[in-house]
Amino acid sequence: MQNQFDVVIIGSGAGGAPIAHELAKKGKSVLVLEKGPLIRPQYQTPNGRSEFKRDELIASGPEKILSLPQVANNGVSYYSSHVEPDLNDEPHVYRDRDGQDRATLEGYTAQVVGGGTQLYGGVSFRFSETDFKLRSFNEDRNDIREDPNGDVKREARDWPFTYDDLEPYYTKTEELIGINGTVANQLKRFSRDVYQPPLSTNGISEFAKRGMELLARQINPAQPIDPYRTPLAVITRDHAPSGRKVPADPESAKTSYVNRYGDPLGLKSSTWVSLLAPIQDLPNFTIRCNCMATRITYENGRANRVFYLDPSGQERSVEGKIIVVACSGIESIRLLKLSAALDPGFDTAINHSGLLGAYFMTHCFGGASARMPDRFDKSVALDADWATDCCSTTDFLRSNGLWAGGALYNNTSDEALPLSLFRTMGAQDLDTLWRGFMQSTGVRGEALMSYLDDNFGRGLSVSFMANQVPQRSNRIELHPTVKDKWGRPVAHILKTWHSHDIYLMDLYAECAGRVLRLGGQALGGSFVFEGQGASYMAENGLARIANHILGGARMGTDPADSVLDKFCRAWQFDNLYVTDGSAMPTSGSGNPTNTIEANSFRVADHLLTRI
Amino acid sequence: MSNSYFQKEDQFILNCATKYLAHSGRPTEAWRFPVISTYAGGATDFADPNSFDDFNEVTFIYAAPANAIPPSVGVVGTFGRLYEPLPLTRASFEGELTRYFSVTAVVPKAQKHLYRFIVDGQVLIDPVNPQQETADNGVVWSRFFTDTYGEPIVLERWELAILSRLVAHLMPFRTGDAKNFLERFYNYLDRGAKDAQFGNIYRLDDSVGEVNYIDNLLAREESHRLADYKICLSIIDQVLRQRNPYTEPSRMSVEIYKDLYNEMSGGFVQGWDYQRYSSPQFFLYLLRRHVVTGAFCHPKYGGNAGAAGWAYLEETYRKPSPAPGVEGDTYFDWRRSLEPAAGGRNQDYRG
Repeated sequence: MQNQFDVVIIGSGAGGAPIAHELAKKGKSVLVLEKGPLIRPQYQTPNGRSEFKRDELIASGPEKILSLPQVANNGVSYYSSHVEPDLNDEPHVYRDRDGQDRATLEGYTAQVVGGGTQLYGGVSFRFSETDFKLRSFNEDRNDIREDPNGDVKREARDWPFTYDDLEPYYTKTEELIGINGTVANQLKRFSRDVYQPPLSTNGISEFAKRGMELLARQINPAQPIDPYRTPLAVITRDHAPSGRKVPADPESAKTSYVNRYGDPLGLKSSTWVSLLAPIQDLPNFTIRCNCMATRITYENGRANRVFYLDPSGQERSVEGKIIVVACSGIESIRLLKLSAALDPGFDTAINHSGLLGAYFMTHCFGGASARMPDRFDKSVALDADWATDCCSTTDFLRSNGLWAGGALYNNTSDEALPLSLFRTMGAQDLDTLWRGFMQSTGVRGEALMSYLDDNFGRGLSVSFMANQVPQRSNRIELHPTVKDKWGRPVAHILKTWHSHDIYLMDLYAECAGRVLRLGGQALGGSFVFEGQGASYMAENGLARIANHILGGARMGTDPADSVLDKFCRAWQFDNLYVTDGSAMPTSGSGNPTNTIEANSFRVADHLLTRI
Repeated sequence: MSNSYFQKEDQFILNCATKYLAHSGRPTEAWRFPVISTYAGGATDFADPNSFDDFNEVTFIYAAPANAIPPSVGVVGTFGRLYEPLPLTRASFEGELTRYFSVTAVVPKAQKHLYRFIVDGQVLIDPVNPQQETADNGVVWSRFFTDTYGEPIVLERWELAILSRLVAHLMPFRTGDAKNFLERFYNYLDRGAKDAQFGNIYRLDDSVGEVNYIDNLLAREESHRLADYKICLSIIDQVLRQRNPYTEPSRMSVEIYKDLYNEMSGGFVQGWDYQRYSSPQFFLYLLRRHVVTGAFCHPKYGGNAGAAGWAYLEETYRKPSPAPGVEGDTYFDWRRSLEPAAGGRNQDYRG
């Protein structure tokens, strides 16, 4: 077995795969270590069947009972996907509002080749130009609301590169990964339009589109910013770079088995089908699946060796000239901290700024939902149809005292399939599935039919995804007592919402609500507005993450103020890079995957100048 | 020697084995073993693509201790030859043999079987799979069942009968239009039924297979809930007999079940034995989740028999007919995305 490589990459998802792809194509010897299994689309398997299925019980499987005496929610039921870890084996533990520890399923992107890109809905926004310079944007302002201590101005950071620096890599990502969408009406600058054409929308989205148009006219009657088709990482035409072909009817990709489902046809552009499968036969590329990295060691200013457990559970190690950690925000930080705990040299080097784990962020997110007067077949949909930037112009931010913006978009696959309708009744996150339906004992017989009559194919939700204020005290640590099944301390997530975050979320929730109200009123019929809100309101509001796990190992220009330099290199290491969401200094005004991939391509180009 | 078994690729075996078996200690999701998956060729005895959908792959995995690899591992069972073991061979990782032995048998759907491993000449039950049955002679065997299994496994007939009555109260399938629809649906299936997986439907006592799903679930994925059902159904049986000493519980009136449901919902049931089970309300919650899942899950789990639950939604939520003799479009075109074996018409996705 080969044990020395030019590059060893821990993690095969959005942060690791672009680097593997670029460096392997340039002839470097590349090893990707992936903790999870390799699950392939049906056209890649010997018998033509995929282990990804259109089956609701694969996405949220049988009940498991949490058996973790050290946490307050010991004994609670949870339902996880076949490619998510078992919380009894590997919990993420967060501290709730009352200071108690609880386990949560949130925060795991997926453990499988392709990581979160296998399960996500594929929403692929670019971050805005402002997102990359939030310190500069805010430093002269005195109007930032709900920030009595000036935390925003003190903690906002510019990225160590600009939107313009990253822009060619956004283009590269959109082309190589395979993303559909439209450029028009996006507020970001596009040097080239490489999107594939979007598929037709679901009929229910018309209410959202109309609502977004009307909202835009309320916000800026003179120059309204109209909606655009949400960019989605799903191919709608044959995709030459990855060799993927679409079915005879590309519209058949719309199945609503999208969010939390791997795609058996490979139309969702996971990093496996788009970046790694195309290079799998290169002699200089190796991927070892079912292999869990356990620690990295340090010697003479370098990360010299990665230890991992092979599928039998036996410890092995490899060396790399370059080592890249990209195993999803929380777990990357955890791996670095565990390495530090086991190696004093590593500890001194990685902790030079004291910021490893600090400035952990997710997104401010939430939205609104309504039941529309007409019924639609929501089982024929992708994850999202329309999006708008009308609430993230600099004018909007300034006139509302917001430090940063967010994207608004309507969801289409939510509650589209029967079990997802029932299990998300009264629950929106992974920790509270089924509870609402189980306890609504009146919903039975005729009343169950009425519930279906009222809700099946009629639910419309609009979500927002916005920057969260970085706080040093929001952090990932190693838990002092809870350990995983291998005896290693698990991640302890400690975070609170800043008062400005709450203000921002309430404001964007109102925008989302207005989209639905305006759209509903305009298109007629009696619709039922169900409510608007944000993640901070949930019972586990401090844990709610939407699986956007960002920061904790941020990039910067000052080694005392960051963990990584502008190329994502850990400052005190010659050769250690961290390229997943943990590298972000601010969390961006949209779902992060596209930006993680673009940044990873950018880092790949830099690495090619070094080896 | 028949060619009714084969080796899955190493990647498949390692995918199944690592997450659940690699670490020392309690296996994770032990119920997954043996691994039941879609069959689509690989055994020369079952090479006709037209019959692939009638079978499952059943992959037996034996994880030997790293420092004690046995010279041979075999499996015997009622699915194959009871006295001549199928040999398991070791999966490889990067050219090196691992400690995982496996073999994949081809077994018809809707069947239940017993099996045991033979490790270095020693007979033993599967150390991982929690499903076990004791034969009449007292010998313990390991057990598995394949997709759409339709006979009771862990619940007794009288328990299933009471459950059916509770299900009837919970789901809308026994009323008016729904009842007519299901009768037409099942009659159609019975006449035209070819597939083994639909063959059991007319024998089901419940509406769309919810109770069968629950029995399958309690036998495998949620065996930790079997005790809840055993205890509560026993208590319910007692409660019902107290209320009506003259009739079998499964034949009692709709009103009696309505009252029972409402009392459970409120948490206070006259005559409930709270010492044995402290919350009838909790059991009702559990039952609700199980029943609705059993109505609308993929048919392979033993519920939503013949996709009747989905077909019901498809039919109930349909646009008015635009012209005589022309059906209106449905608001739930599930067939568009699903594989033919499940009743779908998608030609790209094979299931």
